[in-house]
Amino acid sequence: MFFHIVLERNMQLHPRHFGRDLRDKLVSKLMKDVEGTCSGRHGFIVAITGIESVGKGLIRDGTGFVTFPVKYQCVVFRPFKGEILEAVVSMVNKMGFFAEAGPVQIFVSNHLIPDDMEFQSGDVPNYTTSDGSVKIQKDSEVRLKIIGTRVDATEIFCIGTIKDDFLGVISDPGATS
Amino acid sequence: MSLTADSPVHSPSTSSEDFAAFLDAELDSASDASPHPVGEEEEIEEEAEAEKDDEGDDTNDYDLDFERIKRCKVEILENLSEVETTTSQGVDIQISGASSDKDVCVHPGVIGGLCIRCGLKMDDESGVAFSYIHKNLRLANDEIARLRDKDLKNLLRHKKLYLVLDLDHTLLNSSRFLDITIEEGYLKGSRDDLPDALKSSLYRLDSMHMMTKLRPFVHTFLNEASNLFEMYIYTMGERAYALQMAKLLDPGDVYFNSRVIAQGDCTQRHQKGLDIVLGQESAVLILDDTEAVWGKHKENLILMERYHFFASSCHQFGFSSKSLSELKTDESESDGALATVLKVLQRIHNSFFDTEHSASLVDRDVRQVLKIVKKEVLKGCKVVFTRVFPTQFQGENHHLWKMAEQLGATCSTELDPSVTHVVSLDAGTEKSRWAVQMGKFLVHPRWIEAANYLWKKQPEESYSVSNSKDH
Repeated sequence: MFFHIVLERNMQLHPRHFGRDLRDKLVSKLMKDVEGTCSGRHGFIVAITGIESVGKGLIRDGTGFVTFPVKYQCVVFRPFKGEILEAVVSMVNKMGFFAEAGPVQIFVSNHLIPDDMEFQSGDVPNYTTSDGSVKIQKDSEVRLKIIGTRVDATEIFCIGTIKDDFLGVISDPGATS
Repeated sequence: MSLTADSPVHSPSTSSEDFAAFLDAELDSASDASPHPVGEEEEIEEEAEAEKDDEGDDTNDYDLDFERIKRCKVEILENLSEVETTTSQGVDIQISGASSDKDVCVHPGVIGGLCIRCGLKMDDESGVAFSYIHKNLRLANDEIARLRDKDLKNLLRHKKLYLVLDLDHTLLNSSRFLDITIEEGYLKGSRDDLPDALKSSLYRLDSMHMMTKLRPFVHTFLNEASNLFEMYIYTMGERAYALQMAKLLDPGDVYFNSRVIAQGDCTQRHQKGLDIVLGQESAVLILDDTEAVWGKHKENLILMERYHFFASSCHQFGFSSKSLSELKTDESESDGALATVLKVLQRIHNSFFDTEHSASLVDRDVRQVLKIVKKEVLKGCKVVFTRVFPTQFQGENHHLWKMAEQLGATCSTELDPSVTHVVSLDAGTEKSRWAVQMGKFLVHPRWIEAANYLWKKQPEESYSVSNSKDH
């Protein structure tokens, strides 16, 4: 799920940036530092949408670096148990398949793939129904349900299922090509 | 907490029955107290706790009068709350019912701390790690068995078996830049100056400070073998190295498809095990140049002649002769070890899927087939050894003796007319002379070793025994 929230961070800035563009430098550094990172509490920080406020800078003794407390608005992405997500399959093996929804990696084990889908090894390993009408392979898009999440400081990992109504492949690159 | 959770369930069952008589008698005083329930409630709660603590002996020591009143109040309160507790108990049952549903999940595996089936957080380190599939994947033994079983059926339908391949000295040879000798220096020159044969098979990996030479025929080998086998790479090298090599061998990522097992994945140090290969042992063949690492799986192993291209590799194994690179030659493309072993693999594959077999496919064992195919090599030969084993050594225990028997030859210690070959290190012994007299083949022990590596009876003339040692 996506959230639009306000977060705060202390930014250290090198004295060479002090000047007219100080604010711009601060913002671009913030974006570079923060976007794409993951915090266990909020999930992945997808994008910074605005700066709420920049506090008073505090000069560090000795180094001359200045620390600014910056409040910023950002879009974060955090998967939840029970959530339905659309994801792109990144790897298929006999254990099941891995899929990615943006930065989140999701594993769907073969216990949670419908029983009528069988693993087919070969050049392009895939799961296929007995009549061959549905195929899951690398780069397929699937709709899945999250049944477990593990949020670490730097990574979010999920277990998903497609063994339920309205879940499964939503586009099949193999069928079109 | 203790009051809501415990007392309605446990304490009334004992204390209420004990005091049933008192309660009847004291109901009046209890109803006296009832007009002020709000003020009393705290007191009652305290009392309930006290009661819980002293459940056993409360009848004897207490000031009974005082007690009775309090107890009645507690009883009433509890009777009232009973209605609530029955509903909350209902909830409890539902919850425990749900958790017992989850207990049905046997947690076949854990990935990244989550059960792969129910998504529950799991922190135990049980099961076998399959870090080559995912860094945090562990599978329980039952699940491995289930996957193997399922996979084998699937594979046999496609008429395939498993093939586990070693990297170094089997499919390729690598050397660090540091160890390249002066005579090999031409290899480090610009690519355009290299002989044509090397252009396509010699790789310079600057990031790893290494040069790698693929064994001749390896691309054809992999291509052909991929039709017959599902292939794994299994190396004692580090993971980064293994992946890099896999990329060289399989640029299109069609042969191995992340089935690359490296040192860190092994469950035992200095041993390669099939326990982390998701394939039934009865359908796995192994190609490796080192027998010792496959302690438990020697029967699956096809031993390969080592491929030494670089000088450093020769030195490592104690050969003082010039390496292939120094001589600017290479193994034969059409006749080399890989070409030979491919034919053997095809033979085993054919024999395994032979329709004349009586056993069903699933019950067949490739290890038996391997043995049978191997026994064809020296079939009909009767071998006598002379001056090969140290004196006082039981011939039956010598590796050459065993090797000859595995190759289908009969070994004997006695000379008789049925003997076909005399294996000797010295042409001067009595048995050697007998062989020459009787027109039997007199061969060097290398004849057996060569047959073992090349899976074919070698021309005896090339392995004649020199007489020079005598003089």
